[in-house]
Amino acid sequence: MTADTAAELLKATVDELSRRAPAVIAAAADQLRGIILGLHFGDGSRSELRADHSRLVVTGPNGETPHVEVYFDDRAMNLLFDLERKPIDQVWAQRLDVRGYREQVLAVWRTFQVLSQRGSGLRAVQGLWRSYRDRNPQRWGRPAELPADTRSRNPQRTRNTGWHALDYLDNRYAEDIAKASSTVGGAVYTDARSLWDGYQSKPWWQFADVADTDLMETMQACKDRVSQEFQRIVPDREPRAELYDLMREYPAREGKGLRPTLTIATCCALGGRDEDAVRAAAAVELFHNGFLVHDDIADESTHRRNEPTLHEAHGIGLAVNTGDAMNLLAVDAVLSNLPTLGLARTLGLIHEIMHMCRETVEGQAIELGWIRHLTVPKTDQDYFTMSTKKTGWYTCISPCRLGAICAGETDPGKLDLFTEAFRLIGIAFQIQDDVLNLLGDEVLYGKEPLGDLFEGKRTVMMIHLFREVAPKRRQRLLDIIRLSRTEKRFEDAEEILAAMHQVGSIEYAVKVADRLAHEGVRRFEEDLAFIPENEAKALLRQIANYVTTRPL
Amino acid sequence: MPANLRPRPTACTEQPAAALGPEGPFPRVRLRKVLERRWLHYAFLSRDHELGMVANVAWLGPGLEAEDAPPRCTSILLVHKRGEGWCASQFNTQTSTPLWSAFQQPHNLHTPEPLTLTSTSASPAVELQLSRSSRPCTSQSAWFAPDQHLRWQSETGVIARGRWTFKDQTFDNVEAIGYHERVRGYWGWPELGGWVFGFANDPGGASDQPPPTAFVFTLIQPRGPGDTATGSVMVWRNGRLRRHFPRRCVTFAVRGQLQRDKVQQVPALSNLFGVPPMEPIPQQLMISARMGDDWVTYDYHCDAAARVVIPSETSLRPFSVHEVIGPVHVEGCISGEHFTFDTYGIVEFAGGADDC
Repeated sequence: MTADTAAELLKATVDELSRRAPAVIAAAADQLRGIILGLHFGDGSRSELRADHSRLVVTGPNGETPHVEVYFDDRAMNLLFDLERKPIDQVWAQRLDVRGYREQVLAVWRTFQVLSQRGSGLRAVQGLWRSYRDRNPQRWGRPAELPADTRSRNPQRTRNTGWHALDYLDNRYAEDIAKASSTVGGAVYTDARSLWDGYQSKPWWQFADVADTDLMETMQACKDRVSQEFQRIVPDREPRAELYDLMREYPAREGKGLRPTLTIATCCALGGRDEDAVRAAAAVELFHNGFLVHDDIADESTHRRNEPTLHEAHGIGLAVNTGDAMNLLAVDAVLSNLPTLGLARTLGLIHEIMHMCRETVEGQAIELGWIRHLTVPKTDQDYFTMSTKKTGWYTCISPCRLGAICAGETDPGKLDLFTEAFRLIGIAFQIQDDVLNLLGDEVLYGKEPLGDLFEGKRTVMMIHLFREVAPKRRQRLLDIIRLSRTEKRFEDAEEILAAMHQVGSIEYAVKVADRLAHEGVRRFEEDLAFIPENEAKALLRQIANYVTTRPL
Repeated sequence: MPANLRPRPTACTEQPAAALGPEGPFPRVRLRKVLERRWLHYAFLSRDHELGMVANVAWLGPGLEAEDAPPRCTSILLVHKRGEGWCASQFNTQTSTPLWSAFQQPHNLHTPEPLTLTSTSASPAVELQLSRSSRPCTSQSAWFAPDQHLRWQSETGVIARGRWTFKDQTFDNVEAIGYHERVRGYWGWPELGGWVFGFANDPGGASDQPPPTAFVFTLIQPRGPGDTATGSVMVWRNGRLRRHFPRRCVTFAVRGQLQRDKVQQVPALSNLFGVPPMEPIPQQLMISARMGDDWVTYDYHCDAAARVVIPSETSLRPFSVHEVIGPVHVEGCISGEHFTFDTYGIVEFAGGADDC
């Protein structure tokens, strides 16, 4: 991703952070809440920045009067994004003009503090800024002239002890930092820090800050690791073409890697090791894929993750059998923890997996019952219950609980602390998925457009529509959703979508998802306060905030 | 008699089993208080850097309730094979008697004497002949609470030859070089806070001679009061302590975090007790020391670690000692003589009992 103008750079930065570090965007949006910021860059480009719930929205000027306006000269982009020097040192020679009430200007300032300080820790964002700076050095501004002793050390001490161990790490090994990659078990490379400078001691076990993790990179790393485990679990023998190749191919399709990341990160957050959680994460993925294969058959879906569903490509018989085999191998994957995790944890895993499967099939039964009996539930609560059972447990709740068990945490009281936060986050995530199915790009979303309307899926939008729509029209819409998938025409689906727009069902669903996501994040911070702050917990926080900042 | 002269052998000193050196920093009196402690510590690395070993034998005072009771003794042995990680005994390693110590007097240089440490399950185990090649440093002391203190004295360049037994493998005639230390003091783990300690021996030189250069460092990081943290760096050349850099002349810095996958928790029994997690240990340790024209740097990368979980007598959280093996580069100049060597070293990152 490259940006040619300053306004594009700002938008690209916010987009990148929304994907890779949602917690940063949520923190920045929290500062900007209620303020419209107008930015006039020196290259002539303009932007408006505002907070929409926990999202930051960057647009061009749209006629509204901003609460705070900032005018840059043509060399001042480093005021926004550079951390080399305090901006107060750079606000001279009319390089920057800020207009607005003091409280609001300070709020804007704090917003950019969060964006620049925490965003600068991500290599993808650094790359974005570096690319802009290299192409537009004159617009970026002069490099800061740093004082010789950037750490403000007492010169007397420096003379006494020669040069410092800290300088050695900072200077001699600086190039290592760029090469380093972070992993789940430890953001391996962190800034050098002093333990003893001859006068002051800082315990080796006390870390000042936990760095933000790049969510996309980490999810990909976790997904890759679980994929390797897949290859190990799935037998390399006949019948390949009709069974084992399908089992390998289907999970390898593009997915986010959310579940493996939750399992591994929770295990690490509680002091466990990556490798202890990998088999449990693989088992959840196998169960998940087995369920998806069967779910696609039940829903008569045609596409999954941008490719034809398994039964479309290979027929229903082979698809059902492959789904069964995935569930069977998942049990094998759980049992393979016995030699490494021991009997108690393995039994805990089995118990949790059984619970997860029971919830999932119950949720599926509730939803299929609605469709079978041609009913639309009356309240959102009905949907929440179904959604939690059908997808919430295996998408969010159980992966966390399984990760905790892998780390040795089998106290039911502690495990239950994960449930409420991730139940709320899971429902919000599912509602957002449903919204994206109606509004999102097929390539990005991976399913056929309006697929949920063809299926007649009872979403929050659908429930809201039937609650709010006029009685006359309700009958017409009921007639449409009672048609089978093959009987429905594209015009029928578009008619339901138009009705949803008319009564505001989509906006309503977005608000419900936002409310649930915020409540989920609040419960995350409260209920999981017992987990010490570490890089894996920071990753869990990113995932929790991912739902609140996901662009819709 | 001046303190630096060794007393003539007496009936008492001729019984080395009971002797741990002259009275003074390490008095030959029995442990009484419950937090009164005495340790003997051993750490060795084979000359090819493939094998490593750490052992600790600790005595803890019986407490006021049982004045006549003998001190409680715990002992643990950890062995490491490169690429395969650590394995450890429980806290009940069987030890040979009398227990070898360089500080038993008289104790000649280059005279092999046995040290045997065996897990009750027969592995891991070591059967070694240890011989001194160097001289010890003067004892050092750290005070960190009104009545709590720690004293230690180190000797490097200890040569070990013998058999190392792993779970499914035995190595005979292993030649290793390492470090020995005695500790005495009175402390609770929360007050002690933590420490960073380690050593490195130059692998060059003849096998029966002291290492050309040896490096030992200590950093004690108590919970408080403020000025009680202390550290030192010591450099031996050809078996004699040549420079002791005091705390104002040394700096310690770390960077990165060792992946948790590379940390094993021992003894195995501790995994059953739901031990709370410990912060990740650093991935790289850098030490610099300078005094006048003399200087030395120690650049260490952690490779694999074992977290030894020690129950704390006075806090809920255990005290954790991470025994770490990894490559190290040492460079310096003492009295105009430059030296540099690359080898493997053992470092301890200890702490973690002070959070409750």
